[in-house]
Amino acid sequence: MSRFQTPLLLIFGMVVLGGLASLIGSEQLNFTLTEMLIRMVVVIGIYLFVGNSGVMSFGHIGFMSIGAYATAWMTLPPEWKQVMLTGLPVVFQDNTYPFPVAVLASGLAAAGVALFLGIAIMRLSGLAASIATFAFLAIVFSVYSNWESVTGGTSSVIGIPTVVGPWIAVGFVCGAIVAAHAFQVSRVGLMLRASRDDEVAAQSSAVEIVRMRLLAFVASAFLVGVGGALYAHFLGVLTTDAFYLALSFVTLSMLVVGGLQSLTGAVVGTLAVTLIVEVLRGLERGLDLGASHIALPRGSQEIGLGLALALVLIFRPSGLSGGKEAAWPRKRG
Amino acid sequence: MALLTVENLHVSYGGVTAVRGLSLSVNEGEVVSILGPNGAGKSSTLAVIAGGVAPRAGRVTYAGQDITGGRAEEIARSGISLVPEGRHVFATLTVEENLAVGTYMHKGKADIAGVLERFPRLKERRDFPAGRLSGGEQQMLVIARAMLAKPKLMLVDEPSLGLAPLIIDQVYDILLDLRRQGMSLLIVEQSTSRILKHADRIYVLRGGAVQLEDTAANLRDGEAIKRAYFGFDEGAA
Amino acid sequence: MISLIQNLIDALSLGSLYALVALGIGLLFGILRLINLAHGDFITVGAYALIVPSTEAVAQLAIGGFHPILLLPSIALIVVILALLTDALVFRPLRRAAQPSLMIASFAVSYIIQNGLILIYGARPKNLNLWPALTGQIALGELRLPTLQIVTIVTTLVLMIGLALFLKRTSYGVQMRAAAEDFRMARYLGVRGNLVIGMAFAISGVLAAVVSLLFLSQTGSLETGLGVPLALFGLVAVVIGGMGSLVGAVVGGFLVGAIVTLLQAYLPVEMRSFRDAFAFAFVIVILLWRPSGLIRAKAFDQRV
Ligand SMILES: Nc1ncnc2c1ncn2[C@@H]1O[C@H](COP(=O)(O)OP(=O)(O)OP(=O)(O)O)[C@@H](O)[C@H]1O
Ligand SMILES: [Mg+2]
Repeated sequence: MSRFQTPLLLIFGMVVLGGLASLIGSEQLNFTLTEMLIRMVVVIGIYLFVGNSGVMSFGHIGFMSIGAYATAWMTLPPEWKQVMLTGLPVVFQDNTYPFPVAVLASGLAAAGVALFLGIAIMRLSGLAASIATFAFLAIVFSVYSNWESVTGGTSSVIGIPTVVGPWIAVGFVCGAIVAAHAFQVSRVGLMLRASRDDEVAAQSSAVEIVRMRLLAFVASAFLVGVGGALYAHFLGVLTTDAFYLALSFVTLSMLVVGGLQSLTGAVVGTLAVTLIVEVLRGLERGLDLGASHIALPRGSQEIGLGLALALVLIFRPSGLSGGKEAAWPRKRG
Repeated sequence: MALLTVENLHVSYGGVTAVRGLSLSVNEGEVVSILGPNGAGKSSTLAVIAGGVAPRAGRVTYAGQDITGGRAEEIARSGISLVPEGRHVFATLTVEENLAVGTYMHKGKADIAGVLERFPRLKERRDFPAGRLSGGEQQMLVIARAMLAKPKLMLVDEPSLGLAPLIIDQVYDILLDLRRQGMSLLIVEQSTSRILKHADRIYVLRGGAVQLEDTAANLRDGEAIKRAYFGFDEGAA
Repeated sequence: MISLIQNLIDALSLGSLYALVALGIGLLFGILRLINLAHGDFITVGAYALIVPSTEAVAQLAIGGFHPILLLPSIALIVVILALLTDALVFRPLRRAAQPSLMIASFAVSYIIQNGLILIYGARPKNLNLWPALTGQIALGELRLPTLQIVTIVTTLVLMIGLALFLKRTSYGVQMRAAAEDFRMARYLGVRGNLVIGMAFAISGVLAAVVSLLFLSQTGSLETGLGVPLALFGLVAVVIGGMGSLVGAVVGGFLVGAIVTLLQAYLPVEMRSFRDAFAFAFVIVILLWRPSGLIRAKAFDQRV
């Protein structure tokens, strides 16, 4: 039982959150909550690699992009695809696939790319690997922004069925929590975490570490790809520049603010950053205090987030979670 | 009068404890040596004295001042020079530039030429990148560089590591010369023979703590050192 | 023949810009092991500093109206102050932090600066025609060379020679090189760490300021993200050239300039828009083939 308390607690928390939101029933709240939960899937996905391997990745939003466009290709109405995305293979142009199939396939597409990329770069040292992930992000962005016949280029893809609401998102978050937890308590996960803490002291050979990293990379890309697909089915509209530096920054902030080294951190960080961003966004819209309307200027929200991240890095480098996992309060005894 | 005292020093790196409760002192004009096996915490101790590592607990006093946890550059400027283990030459800088780095903290003209007279091999290679020197030459270079910093106390970490006996003799000749000029020395070594000949006092470290402390004269036969070093037979003494 | 020379000049002037950016990034990496993702935003700030702070759509010159002899130092000073502030407020408290934290912190700085610019100047791009005189051409027989490209190349040469002399001939330069090789050892020899790092930030700021003026003269358009692609290519150049080696950064910069120009000139038209993707893919290839880059710096210690 105690082994599973972390995922159970986290899942419980998310279900309560979903329940509260549906009790309140505000459309705005539901929107924010769903977006946050989808980002949480992504952040948990990034955590699965970064937290376990200790290698920083700046490229995971590239997988999100891959997942999002993959599901668009599978679920858009054929008439639209045949006109707007003329470069798509005929199987995609002529058919539409149901949501679950499309989401799964999107995750697999991202995982496939990760496998290919990972085989190449997982043997690099931490720093070089981080830079390579950065280059990957730039490649995906550049290709998707320019491949007009398949992604619509810089114009947006519209009309993706918007089927993802808060409860579906809660479901996927729970799935992600279970998957990430299962990985980190597995033999591979434990060994990888040992190698993270001290590459020299870990008992495993270099080849083994590379293979374990690769596994984590592929699994994490799968989750992030699924997150991307969910995002597409939540917004219904895609543009390539939604999946670049800004979103990378927000998701990395979530991970770091919560604490890179624990699953609880990924969840808590997503919550905390969303809260910060929403409060600041509210302030940007403005407050009516008596006769006067006070509003923060545009850009304050992002600056606030940047500052929050810098402060966490300086004063609490292991994040809000302190690198620890959620647990029941110990019984006195 | 003790020039340097270290009291109850504790050092740890993350979860690894390297030094636990070490105390030692070096008097003015003295040559003191720290002996001990790999991982005993010798280098860590020197690093703390020189300000490269912050201790978890304990106190370092130098010339009557508390320098615990001070910044490395300030400690260097106050007259302590560390020659770390493993010959840290600046590989792409020339020999002369390497030496120059040791002199910048003194405003006046430093005597690079004078020091080079003492090291003919370095003089010949003054425009070489230091990375291309042989191991022995590099060891000479780091000692010469530390000399140019004109310290009152020089900390030398395993100066003989990986050098041929003849070269080691030369290194020790220079160190003893420094002592004659009034410098105090704290030398870390793993091998006992030379130290017994040249040091005034000896500390034997193991597991991050001092196992034995005495004058070199009293330890002349080496037996007590061996016991402390390997940890045999502790109660028997 | 003519087109070949023109391509060469294109490559050299683009490479010059990238080399300057790469030097700015490489200098900080050499000493701090910091990959400064905010370097591009230093460049952006240098460009915005030319105009009156306002969210108006039309840019009004402020410092940009100064005589070049005053303009250059003013912009350089502003960017240097920004760089030093960044160090004091963010990177100094993180001196002992692990490398990923440093990189993320610089990402945060970048994000803050970009949005700070949006806050002050608004998000819309603005046209700014700095130094229209530079848009002309110099005719050399049949060859017509854009003045701006020549200015760019010459400026870069002058800056690189200046930097090389500083590093080689002055005591601070030697201290910086020593610190870049072995920061801890340099401090054991009394080299003041924060001073050296401050100087590195300052030089990096000067380089960024020069790039901002050259780049802006080329594009004529202010935009809060204008430095980002430059920083990305600069980072590419640093990686290709060899992290931790300044010569490598320069070589990498010119190489990236050459590659981009070649791709632009000789890729089939329908592939041209993927030019950047090829350049970044090349980074991955170089990392795999020679993880320490073309010019190998002394193996840098991962622990420090
Ligand atoms: N930077 C570091 N990070 C983590 N652990 C360290 C670090 N430096 C030293 N240690 C550990 O601290 C302990 C003592 O190391 P130290 O270098 O002080 O020993 P030493 O006596 O100098 O050994 P040697 O004779 O091998 O040089 C060792 O277990 C070592 O692994
Ligand atoms: Mg040692």
